[in-house]
Amino acid sequence: MEYRDRLTDIINFLPDATWAIDTEGTVIAWNRAVEELTGVKAESIIGKGNFEYAVPFYGCRLPILVDVAITPNLEQERHYKSFRRDGDTVEAEIFVPHFRPGGVYLWAKARRLLDAAGNVIGAIETVRDITEHKRMQERMVQTEKMVMVGGLAAGMAHEINNPLGAIMQHAQNIERRVSADIPANLKAAAEVGVDLALVRTYLQKRGIFDFIGHIRSAGMRASEIISNMLHFSRRGDFGAEYVDLSVLLDRVLELAGSDYDMKKKYAFSGIELQRMYANGLPPVLVTVADMEQVLLNILKNAAQAMVGAAPGRQQRITLRTSTAGGMVLIEIEDNGPGMDEAVRLRIFEPFYSSKAVGAGTGLGLSVAYAIVTKGHHGSIEVTSQQGAGCCVAIRLPLQGRDS
Amino acid sequence: MNNADAAIVVMLVDDEEMVRECVAAYLEDEGFTVHGCASAEDALEIIVAVRPAVCISDLHLTGMNGEEFILRARALCPATSFMLHTGMLYSLSDRLREVGMTPDDVLLKPVHDLSKLVLKIKMLGAMGRES
Repeated sequence: MEYRDRLTDIINFLPDATWAIDTEGTVIAWNRAVEELTGVKAESIIGKGNFEYAVPFYGCRLPILVDVAITPNLEQERHYKSFRRDGDTVEAEIFVPHFRPGGVYLWAKARRLLDAAGNVIGAIETVRDITEHKRMQERMVQTEKMVMVGGLAAGMAHEINNPLGAIMQHAQNIERRVSADIPANLKAAAEVGVDLALVRTYLQKRGIFDFIGHIRSAGMRASEIISNMLHFSRRGDFGAEYVDLSVLLDRVLELAGSDYDMKKKYAFSGIELQRMYANGLPPVLVTVADMEQVLLNILKNAAQAMVGAAPGRQQRITLRTSTAGGMVLIEIEDNGPGMDEAVRLRIFEPFYSSKAVGAGTGLGLSVAYAIVTKGHHGSIEVTSQQGAGCCVAIRLPLQGRDS
Repeated sequence: MNNADAAIVVMLVDDEEMVRECVAAYLEDEGFTVHGCASAEDALEIIVAVRPAVCISDLHLTGMNGEEFILRARALCPATSFMLHTGMLYSLSDRLREVGMTPDDVLLKPVHDLSKLVLKIKMLGAMGRES
């Protein structure tokens, strides 16, 4: 008995969540760290079987890594990221979507327990929460991508802007060179013996003026994409001013309300808006036009995602502000369909879009990322619970960008 | 074409002929006299003779860049108003701010609508005549 108590003390000391089962699947050990991780006490779970230990993690009974350690199961093993088996030991990385809001990444290792004769008598599993580490990796990958795209964007913008300018400006030149208001046009027409008014009537009749108009608006669209991409290469920022975030958010909501797509396509007026602004928030240094673009993009994504999702549920967008650790936090949360982890991981990638072709360029959130991180030295993160909604959290430094 | 505008001489400095051509076509239709130069070095040679009211220079030029060009050309032609034309997100350097240029004097490529540039040139031209 004394030996057993000592063993309990030992496993309770281990900082990683650890438990063990026998070959029947009955829990025979459950240490302090797993109590803390799951909120389930040892006395309430030891002795229980039927996959009880899966419930705190997955919300249901199912075989987990500790079971795979005892009985290999190829189907299940395929679902783990970087699964490895080495003799009696198995190891994997697991994303558990519903364990906490936004999900957690766990690194898990399990091993068969053998008796002196080498018979399997159970298995032990240990898990470590590596969510923070994963998020940091994500941010690093994100930053690297931005730097790469930034270089590409700057080079492209430089090469494309001149031809693009020529397309738009020459379209404008063509319009003017058939105008009767410019004496040189009348003179040239007279010289070749044509009536400029008739030329104009002909061009009108064959839709040429419309075509020219389309050339100009297509050029405008392309130049907007280029100018958006330039945010990726922007180093510092300029034109920043101190603003009251409540005022800024209200103004963005107003902009959203009058936006054509928001009104006509995403029924923005039908969405309930909850404003939970912190009182007495200090002014924050932002480049207003850029931050408006960021917030408007996020609102548009939220509204667009909610179109047709979960009929019968009141669609809601919650805007929350608060301060924490020298940063001001802006959260924009919706109760739309959310997204799975695979989409979430790529959400800030330039030109990545989960929307239908033509419904988005895939630049909105990546530009938001560049503006927040590069232009404002802040951070932006998306968490999502599939089926329940999505939350975008923007953190901006309170003391300003240069201090 | 009215006579006040006819007097306005504009100089365009850009190493791409295409850019000079389409801006020049527009400005000439407005009645301005336009001189195009393919480099800052060429422009510095003729600017005193041309005496433009307004000079629009590209930022990234082969050879001397637009900023350096403006600083040197200003010394030669103090009455000329200068503008920068650039495809980059550009914030005015301290050197150019010191000589009185404002963000308003920076044209971002591609310029969608040249009629705004015309208004600006007319304004600068009128200012130049008064001073």
